[in-house]
Amino acid sequence: MSFAANLILASVRMAVPLLFIALAELYSERAGMVNIGLEGLAAIGSLVGFLVCFVTGSAWLGILAGALVGVAVNMIYAFATITLCANQIVYGMAINIFAPALASFIYRVYFGTGSELSQITLMNGIGIPGLKDIPFLGDLLFNQTPMVYLAYLLVIVTVIYFGKTRSGLNFKSVGEHPKAAATLGIPVTKIKYVSCVLCGALAGVGGAYLTTCYANTYTEGNVAGRGFIALAAVIFGRWTGGGILLACLFFGFCDALQIRLQVANFGLPYQFFQMIPYIATVVVLSLIGAKKAGPRAGGQPYRREER
Amino acid sequence: MKKVLAVILALTVVLGLAACAKTAAPAASTAASASAAASTSTAASASASAAASGDLTGTKDFKVAMICDSSISDGGWGAACYNAMVDACKRSGWSYEVTDSIDQSAYYESIAAYCDLGYNLIYAPGNQYTDAVLQAAEEYPDIAFALLNGAEDTPGKATNKNVSSLLPNAQQIGWIAGALAGLMTKSNTIAFIGGMELDTTLGKYKGYTEAAQFVNKDVKVLDPVYAGSFSATDKGIEFAKAMIDQGADVFFGDASAVDSGARQAIDEANKASGSVKVFDIGQPADLLGQNECVICSQVTDNSSLLTISMQAVEDGKFGGETIYGTLQNGVLSAGKMSDLVPADVQAKYLDYIDQMTKDTFMK
Amino acid sequence: MTKFKRALTSFVVPLLSILLAFLIGAVIMIVLGANPLLALKYLWKGAFGTAANLGTTLAKATPLIFTALCACFAYKCGVFNLGGEGQFIMGSVVACLIALQSGLTGFPAILLCLVAGAAAGGLWGLIPGVLKITRGQNEMIISIMLNYVATLFMGVIYTSWLRDQNIPQTPAIPDSVKLSRVFPNMRFTTAFLIAIAVGLILYYYLFWTSNGFKLRAVGYNMTASRFNGFPVKRYILASFIVSGAVAGLGGAAELLGTQFRLINGFGAGYGFDGVAMALIGQLHPIASMVVAIFFAALRTGSTTMQAGTGVPTSVSDIIQALVIVFTVAGMALVKLPEFEAFRLRLSGGRKKEAKTV
Repeated sequence: MSFAANLILASVRMAVPLLFIALAELYSERAGMVNIGLEGLAAIGSLVGFLVCFVTGSAWLGILAGALVGVAVNMIYAFATITLCANQIVYGMAINIFAPALASFIYRVYFGTGSELSQITLMNGIGIPGLKDIPFLGDLLFNQTPMVYLAYLLVIVTVIYFGKTRSGLNFKSVGEHPKAAATLGIPVTKIKYVSCVLCGALAGVGGAYLTTCYANTYTEGNVAGRGFIALAAVIFGRWTGGGILLACLFFGFCDALQIRLQVANFGLPYQFFQMIPYIATVVVLSLIGAKKAGPRAGGQPYRREER
Repeated sequence: MKKVLAVILALTVVLGLAACAKTAAPAASTAASASAAASTSTAASASASAAASGDLTGTKDFKVAMICDSSISDGGWGAACYNAMVDACKRSGWSYEVTDSIDQSAYYESIAAYCDLGYNLIYAPGNQYTDAVLQAAEEYPDIAFALLNGAEDTPGKATNKNVSSLLPNAQQIGWIAGALAGLMTKSNTIAFIGGMELDTTLGKYKGYTEAAQFVNKDVKVLDPVYAGSFSATDKGIEFAKAMIDQGADVFFGDASAVDSGARQAIDEANKASGSVKVFDIGQPADLLGQNECVICSQVTDNSSLLTISMQAVEDGKFGGETIYGTLQNGVLSAGKMSDLVPADVQAKYLDYIDQMTKDTFMK
Repeated sequence: MTKFKRALTSFVVPLLSILLAFLIGAVIMIVLGANPLLALKYLWKGAFGTAANLGTTLAKATPLIFTALCACFAYKCGVFNLGGEGQFIMGSVVACLIALQSGLTGFPAILLCLVAGAAAGGLWGLIPGVLKITRGQNEMIISIMLNYVATLFMGVIYTSWLRDQNIPQTPAIPDSVKLSRVFPNMRFTTAFLIAIAVGLILYYYLFWTSNGFKLRAVGYNMTASRFNGFPVKRYILASFIVSGAVAGLGGAAELLGTQFRLINGFGAGYGFDGVAMALIGQLHPIASMVVAIFFAALRTGSTTMQAGTGVPTSVSDIIQALVIVFTVAGMALVKLPEFEAFRLRLSGGRKKEAKTV
């Protein structure tokens, strides 16, 4: 297949884990919770997903376990920032330190220190019969693991939820103006907690995807900054499901391009390509106005008694 | 009020679970230690369980400590170096300890901590520790420092003459892999994946290229690619896919966990095409059987380099030199070959290895 | 805040949090088969036990003090400068370029490197600042993104432009440009003294000058300040530049004092650590410095603890993260109105009005 076709396939491959984590952050930020601990959540999700898949042989159980542990760890963040009104950024960073260390610890305790690299069987791809034989597009869209289909589905669900349902609009209002929402009877605290559950689950799934559907081994640091790129993707995608999908594809494209250009020996230092997602985000933020810059009450603790 | 109680309750639950975990853990750690190289628990101090990964039960009164920035469970460089130390200690009767997964800012402190605890030999597996090792060597003149893959001029920089570089011969490493790659390639395109652009990596690439082109005039070696890290498995997957698209059918690397990713991608490609056509040569341990695509490995016996060092420390003669690892002294070798290598190719390859050992290769 | 609360948050909460974090750490160690009391002994010895170790602790504290002061100063003005790491790195990059390329030596070179490093950090901090005042953008995310750009840029420097032959690092800076040690057998250098000096200067500025008062007012209540005619935008910009400059100075000092070359991993994590320390130090410059020294002691001691007991690195990382988690949670808990009500009930309900904040 041509260079371009392989490049696009690679972009989609690399975009999927990012998509899960970015959607996780979307749900969190839409309720006003800025969670920068995605990297840590994905790290522990990937470890637990790998471990469970290794022990049970089922990639699905691994994904589920990754989601559960992501929720559990994110509850620390949720409790501290929602109920105790502590600083969200610091807690996000604390999760980024705590969760990968915990993951590394669990790996060491379970697997010991042999040099045998533990491997698992990856989740099987499922081709949609008929559709998958379309040249190129077939492979791209219809011959992937179920998790990829799930990711696409999730984007559609998200767009409909936030755009068209009353519950979604209530959800968004919590992030824009929680006091007004409270006066309308919307359960602000409950929605914030729900957003943290969703965030933890999806970030954990994104991490588990890395070790059950992508690589068949676990290595420390395998999340490789995706948690922070996801933050960029949410902004770049203007806090909408569709925008985030495009942002993740774009960032996946940049990453895939950087690798293929290295193989083709392009000459420009590869770090410049790795900078693209971050610079692009800053540029986007410089161009769009403050009004469109995300939930207005993002990052602020909600105190019921405050005027 | 309720919230404070909730916090206290949550913490009690956590502590309770941890206490329960204690009774469950011994079962887990015995299972783990059966597979790990650590010995059974007899020692007084803390390092009895596999999770603590050290062993102070040597027969002699000598101790070696290893520091490592990657994890020793990475299935690649870190693991190979750690196991080399464990083997060497078993042979020499030494005790060992390890601190892994440390940040660059903590290299010096970790070394100094072991020096303060009276360790006799500090083992640093990589060029990146050179600065920290030289600093510590300055301040602890009575302790020996072995720098694996250290530069040849590093021992000379230590004024106390207590630093030696352990240098597996990068060119011969490249030769061992390159000769087989040149013989096995059908598409006449072979590939090399690096972790970081170290000079030892470049030396290996050069050796790989010249050996392959010597045994097979038509072979083309793709330019080396660098993942920029030794743990980015996903980059290995992508690199391998891209290079297979460019026609490469034999791979070699110097990138630890990145190479594991590459092997996974190669296995996937072979499965998709129906037969094993793309091969991989593993390193630095004998990886035959780990992945379907591995046809052979370039084996570096770091433990014998360490054993030599330990012997020198015991004799009081350590320091100030570069100890080479070569085919000639047995540190480097070719591993077992898989059945995918036809018998006549195996014979040719072993002949080349013999030439390399006798120093008549490419002459 | 009442005096009682202040005392509570300043001492008791951090103390309890540390105890709790260590308790959990001890439990983990027992599970692993290590002796927690032995570990504690090694921790203490590693951090303060010998003169050399104390020197290492202070040397490790130096960059943390700089980034903590950076975060502290910015937050005092109500500005969330999370770009400390990027500003730190840009400072060190510029200092490295000057040290290696300019051919200057000795004191003028050191001075130029430090000043240029501060300027570089200040400029890097200017970007989110400008975007905040002109476009109203949230500076948190922009500054985080710029951290990555700075780290990658440093990567380009040591892998291609200023590479040390075949090793991915820059050559070491010449000896004459290195900062000297204060005591010959202790690792900390004049960089530490510079850090303390900067902290004292910032403290003096914030709490003893009228400009500093205005800056704090802006941080306390931006609307009221604007209403009173304070040039809010100018103060915001100034606080970005100054906090960035402090971080940049820290990066330059770290290069000239301890690391001497740029390499993969240089400066990693210092920025966010600084934020955590500033928050634990209640955004007070002096307290932040003390917290920074404490954390440096914890880290240095952990290295000896790992070496002595054989527990993996992840355990001490977990303990450090838990200290942050519990301390910040504890301080937030104490500030809650519910806690205030609880405390009043406990103390027999003196005739005091419950305050809202």
